[in-house]
Amino acid sequence: MSAVTTTYFGIPGYVIFWVIFALAIGLFLNRMSQLVRYMLLGRREESYGQIVRRALKTAVAVLGQWCQLKNLTFKDRASIGHAFMAWGFFIFIVFYFIFIIIGAGFGVSETLEHTSFFFYYAWVMDIAAVFVILGAAWGIIRRYVVRPSRLKGEQTVEAMVILVTVLIHPVTHLFKEATSIALGHPPAGLGAVLPPISSALSNLFAGSAESTIEAASIGFFWAHWLVVLFVLVFIVYSRYLHVVASIFNILFQSPPPKGTLRPVDLKNAKSLGAGRITDLTWKQILDLYSCVVCGQCQELCPATASGKPLNPKELIQDLKKHLLEVGPQLLKAKKEEESAGNSSGELVGKVITEDEIWACTTCRACDNVCPVLVEHVDKIVDLRRNLIMGSKTETARDPLRNIRVRGHPWMGTTLAREDWTQGLNVKIMAENSNVDILYWVGCTEALEDRSIKIAQAIGKLLNQAQINFGILGEEESCCGDPARRLGNEHQFQLQAQKNIKILQNYNVKKIVTACPHCYNTIKNEYPQFGGEFEVIHHTQFIAQLLKEGKLKVSGGNGGLITYHDACYLGRYNDIYQPPRQILNNLPDTRIIEMEQNRARSFCCGGGGGRMWLEENIGKRISELRIEQAIKTKAQTVATACPYCLQMFEDAAKVKGVEESLKVRDIAELVGSMSLLT
Amino acid sequence: MIDIIVCVKQVLDPELPLSLFKINPEAKQVIPPRGRAPVLNPFDENALEAALKIKDTQEAKITVISMGSGLDEVILRETLAVGADDLIFLQDDAFKDVDSYSTAYVLATAIKKIGKYDLILCGRQAADTDAGQVGSAIAEILGIPSITLAGKIEVSNGKLKIQRVTEDGYEVIEVPMPALITAGYEIGNIREASFQATMEADTKEITTWSAQELGIDLSLLKRSNMLQLSIPAHEVTCQLIKGESPEEAGKNLAIKLRDDQKI
Repeated sequence: MSAVTTTYFGIPGYVIFWVIFALAIGLFLNRMSQLVRYMLLGRREESYGQIVRRALKTAVAVLGQWCQLKNLTFKDRASIGHAFMAWGFFIFIVFYFIFIIIGAGFGVSETLEHTSFFFYYAWVMDIAAVFVILGAAWGIIRRYVVRPSRLKGEQTVEAMVILVTVLIHPVTHLFKEATSIALGHPPAGLGAVLPPISSALSNLFAGSAESTIEAASIGFFWAHWLVVLFVLVFIVYSRYLHVVASIFNILFQSPPPKGTLRPVDLKNAKSLGAGRITDLTWKQILDLYSCVVCGQCQELCPATASGKPLNPKELIQDLKKHLLEVGPQLLKAKKEEESAGNSSGELVGKVITEDEIWACTTCRACDNVCPVLVEHVDKIVDLRRNLIMGSKTETARDPLRNIRVRGHPWMGTTLAREDWTQGLNVKIMAENSNVDILYWVGCTEALEDRSIKIAQAIGKLLNQAQINFGILGEEESCCGDPARRLGNEHQFQLQAQKNIKILQNYNVKKIVTACPHCYNTIKNEYPQFGGEFEVIHHTQFIAQLLKEGKLKVSGGNGGLITYHDACYLGRYNDIYQPPRQILNNLPDTRIIEMEQNRARSFCCGGGGGRMWLEENIGKRISELRIEQAIKTKAQTVATACPYCLQMFEDAAKVKGVEESLKVRDIAELVGSMSLLT
Repeated sequence: MIDIIVCVKQVLDPELPLSLFKINPEAKQVIPPRGRAPVLNPFDENALEAALKIKDTQEAKITVISMGSGLDEVILRETLAVGADDLIFLQDDAFKDVDSYSTAYVLATAIKKIGKYDLILCGRQAADTDAGQVGSAIAEILGIPSITLAGKIEVSNGKLKIQRVTEDGYEVIEVPMPALITAGYEIGNIREASFQATMEADTKEITTWSAQELGIDLSLLKRSNMLQLSIPAHEVTCQLIKGESPEEAGKNLAIKLRDDQKI
């Protein structure tokens, strides 16, 4: 007698099983269809190509658990637990499919049990069960005993339910197998070598009456399947929806380059940016479903760390909560053919506060760390777009206005774009465009008092290396990065179109720039508007000149230097090595890393247009970072971004360390050495 | 419904860096800098904002007029984007470089042609000439009250209540309409246009009136005669006066100043 062949109150077991099974699948599918219909309330997304590449990436991320393991650090080892749990689960799922669909559906269960397939099945499942048990136990201990900061306040019933069921599930499986062995009639396919865990457990039943073991076997069978089906339903009604959603989220991940914002079709857009939840695209809604509140984003967010109201995790959760709340009425409205957007209400003010939106530096630490590739920055910018282009806020009015009227955000500057070239051999394109390389100076390095020293250092190095280069001078206009990140897509597109036209008129092919924001915009975002240029960051270019021997450093003393990875250079463009390579080439120089470096680098606070906004909530982000630099005992903080340079010089002054901790751009450091021609 | 007319002028960007400001001393002319568009006179922006603030609270029609030759359409269309209803160009080569009173005469003629007006707003002065005469001159020609340096304007019961900014505070003045008011920066910066409004402003019709259409008597247009145009030279030489102690340095400074016959 097995659990399914037994009759209960006159009803055969298999009937009960299939009824419960159908009920669970029904509940699962019902919820899924609801969630998909919510998703389809969102805007369309540009079509997704490269499906094979995406599928492979997804396989590595999900099956290989690279999504988790990429974040493994000495301090945070949770990803190992997750990986074990996931690997165990994948094995379970594969065998469930085989037994339920092929086995039960096609009636080959009996046959399978008599083949050696069953031997492998039993052994593999034995091990998989241990994986899951270890993973779940680790999870429970971490969440409820260790309580790391990123799980603060997350000791919820919801989490406990899932962790306990995930723990019980493999246990019931093992006992189900153990009782079957104890009964002395394990499936023939198992052979003589019994799986270790379940056979060990079967010893617990030694000496028990057969009827007792049989009853226990039936009990474990039902317990096991009830848990499995409960989990199936529970995940789609809870945050553990991520089990399903994140696979698709990774499959439909935004196409590279990283962090590139979706352009707005300004002529045909019904509404600009995200004013209401239905203004998000279906992929952005899928992002909301995929978040499992692991809190890794909040651990790295400079806004959260400095006590600002923004927390990327909360942002996603607030949006999701709102969607689930208004979802039913939106679907109803859609059915009645009203415009779906009208019944959902504005996001800003109700769901998200303005302060949250403006606190973001667009540093991408959150996007970069998220195991399931949820994007936060794109949503924040979409929310900003709606405020700015709808003229619903006074924030950022002055810098945006200055970009529009004067083509740069540095209101009140007394400098002109060509002033820094005095004493250097710099061609102006309007006068002589016969150059090999265009040096894109950028507004900050041309117009901001401290930053022009970077431009002068670069001019000196390029002269030294005898590079035939030119600048646009007064014809250069803001690349548009601050406008785009502050939400004025219209102004950004005007800037992009204007600059692309000028660059193409001069037939520019190769551009060197010292500003990571200009670099990212021209390289990764101008192609959206037909501008394709080879763009090189000055750290790459100088590293190359040193390597080729066109620049030779003969003397000088760099001392102990710590290098700060700029967000738009590192996380956006994976340029980590060239700046370090340059520093390693300087005489008497030693690099010491800050506690957060490379992809986990901590923003200076100046990105996303924050350079021009007041920072009056919480601590200053730049000061938190300069404290990390002070800890290294370095004499110099080397930067490769004019925003970082300014932010840190100010922070060093506030901290009173401007004498002991110099802030220098890498070009300035190289320029300060003795150079050989 | 209140009819407001705002007079605006385009000027060379007052924030232009010194190195870009070039003149031709022989021709006594400012050379327009390469790649730098003119801007709306910031005080005229205040005047327009004052009009928009009134429109926020009650029904109003705002007509913007600008006089000159070579008016920049892109810059002036912004007035429509932020909320003005009509834009009229008074454009004629004859208007080039005319003096303040002649400018007021042309503007006043256009205002008369428009006919309906309860309130005329001007900036307190233009950021290029800093003369500050046009507003009051228009009031003089039209024979209506003129209040200068307004920091706040309220409309109630057909009357205007104005906070006029003085050196040490403000005075409150009440006048009947129609009246002319010149606005200062205390009114507040001009608002930003929404994207939608910017797009709509781009396709709006602009009315243009020439000297002939206005019926201007060209003999009344006067030009001031510029005798000389130069960029003031700033020459700074710095000497550091040293001393063993602050007291001694102070003493040395005093001696130096006496020797140089500064004291």
